[in-house]
Amino acid sequence: MRILLIEDDQQAATYIVKGLTESGHNVDHAADGQLGLDLALAENYDVLVIDRMLPKRDGLSLIRMLRADGDKTPILVLSALAEVDDRIEGLRSGGDDYLVKPYAFSELLARVDALTRRYTETVSLTALKVADLELNLLTHKVTRAGCLIRLQPMELRLLEFLLRHVGQVVTRTMLLEQVWDLHFDPQTNVIDTQISRLRSKIDRDFDRPLLHTLRGVGYKLDEFR
Amino acid sequence: MNLGRLLNTSAMRIALRYAAIYAILMILGLSTLYWASSQYIDEQITTGLKQKMLDLIHIDQAQGRKSLIQTLNAQSAINKQSRSIFLLLNSSHKKIAGDLEAWPSKLDVTNRVVNVWIDSQLISNSKMDQDAYWPMIAETLADGSQLLLAQSLKQAEELQEQILYSIISIFLLSVGLALTMGWIIGRTLLARIDNINSTAKAITSGNLSHRIPITEKNDEFDELAKYLNTMLNRIEQLLTGMRQVTDNIAHDLRKPLSRLRNRLEITLLEERESQEYQQILTETINDADELIITFNTLLEIAQTEAESFRGEWESVDLSKLLQQLGELYQELANSKKQTLKLTVQNGLKVTGNRHLLAQAVSNLLDNAIKYTPANGQIILAAKQQQKNITLKVSDNGVGIPTDKYKLVLERFFRLDSARSMPGNGLGLSLVKAVADLHRAKLSFEDNQPGLTVVIIFTKLNN
Repeated sequence: MRILLIEDDQQAATYIVKGLTESGHNVDHAADGQLGLDLALAENYDVLVIDRMLPKRDGLSLIRMLRADGDKTPILVLSALAEVDDRIEGLRSGGDDYLVKPYAFSELLARVDALTRRYTETVSLTALKVADLELNLLTHKVTRAGCLIRLQPMELRLLEFLLRHVGQVVTRTMLLEQVWDLHFDPQTNVIDTQISRLRSKIDRDFDRPLLHTLRGVGYKLDEFR
Repeated sequence: MNLGRLLNTSAMRIALRYAAIYAILMILGLSTLYWASSQYIDEQITTGLKQKMLDLIHIDQAQGRKSLIQTLNAQSAINKQSRSIFLLLNSSHKKIAGDLEAWPSKLDVTNRVVNVWIDSQLISNSKMDQDAYWPMIAETLADGSQLLLAQSLKQAEELQEQILYSIISIFLLSVGLALTMGWIIGRTLLARIDNINSTAKAITSGNLSHRIPITEKNDEFDELAKYLNTMLNRIEQLLTGMRQVTDNIAHDLRKPLSRLRNRLEITLLEERESQEYQQILTETINDADELIITFNTLLEIAQTEAESFRGEWESVDLSKLLQQLGELYQELANSKKQTLKLTVQNGLKVTGNRHLLAQAVSNLLDNAIKYTPANGQIILAAKQQQKNITLKVSDNGVGIPTDKYKLVLERFFRLDSARSMPGNGLGLSLVKAVADLHRAKLSFEDNQPGLTVVIIFTKLNN
């Protein structure tokens, strides 16, 4: 995956580039807004990671320029401004996701992966599948190996989100944001218990587990670990 | 208070300016009055003399010379005070009767009133002790004798003098009054300004608790002072919050940071298995994450407390939010074999920030679940009570001693009984800050056993 990182903090940029490269991505780095805009317009990237505060051209105006130009590349906005309004402003100006500094690298990586998926999956599906687990989006019926599994509405939403990000790591914060629409840090791991309940329904009676926990990072729904 | 400063006050300047304008207008008006009155007096004297002359000629013709002389003498006697004099000469210019010794040399017999200079010595029975101009008229009678009538100007001059004195005193009085008013108002204004200035000085020199005294006059200065005081309160509040955060960072975050550092240092002391390194690094990441959460929470508390929160402010469906959170925490409670019961009335609406409210309630649920033993019961309840909305989180766990209710709201404070549990001592501080931001009342009740946290959203909020 080709990723353009536009970030003026040299130290942060170095470790993000290193991390993304080691995760198998091809990363270009621009240290200011103008260079970033030129690169984004000239090259073909799969994801743009853009810091809000940039020299020469600030992140939000850069995003607006790109969007006005018809560029639909998914964008992850990075910001040191922690308030909800900034998040909304960042998304309104054309960003697809928003991450507040300081963030964990695993969070950044998970969100970058999620963005590429969101972008490529534009066709409307009627069913989501992984291995022998299937969710019918029209009837909301969940089956595994042909057996009907009864899920509560919240579990269903959680499973749908995981299925839409099959094979990708999703973090607790992502789940809280996307499934529960809550932006805060729960002090104890409420998400873990939700996951283990879902797991008990979709995995317990079957040989091969599909819902995996990645320690310190998040979860992954996948055929293979 | 020095004079230069006083003269420079706007009150003084305005007073002086108006005094000058009024003085000019008054001088113009009074001068016109003065001029008009002297004209009038002249006119009065002239017509008076003419009329008198006509009357006397008439008496002379109708009743004879004797009668004229009698009348003249009688009038002269009566008019001793009013200072009119006469002189009657026969046709050979000899004095027949009168107050004057001799016919004034400069007087022609013209039937016109003229002013003639007369020595006071010329006047008999001293009706006049000073030389002066006398308006007079002279007429030749039928037999060729001549009659002179004169009227003293003294009375008219006295009247005009009176008017002049009035003009001067009114002028002086008004200027004096203006200056006094300017002085008094200027002094008052300066005193009020000095109050504000001294407060500003005190604050500049570092004493932030100073406030501008407010009088009972409730005037524009008090209004200004009130607004400035409100501003100062706000600034102090912000600074205090800031200072607390820095203090917290300095005191309470040093410990976990040095713990983290020491663990890494100890790890490096000897060669270890790569699995052990991985284990230690993972633990370190967890510790760092906790530190970051603590930092973020501190920042969030500070922002919320300072009311500088600029996030979305909307009508929040509290009932729905509580249902959501209840659902989210249900599993956690179940995993500890606790029951989490929701008794939430439908359709409760609160104006506020959904995320902060969610954070606050989730902190309370976190605590309840954390400090309640297995088989315990936690109740999340909310209902409308008159115009208020009451939100309660009750548990039957260890509770908080009543004398610690205030302390647990302080940042980083943890009860001795809670120290063994994970946590950073910031949860309730944030709840308090969120409640304050939403103008809601936060209180604790003893659930016997356990704790009930009560948040009352007043109608002010809605």
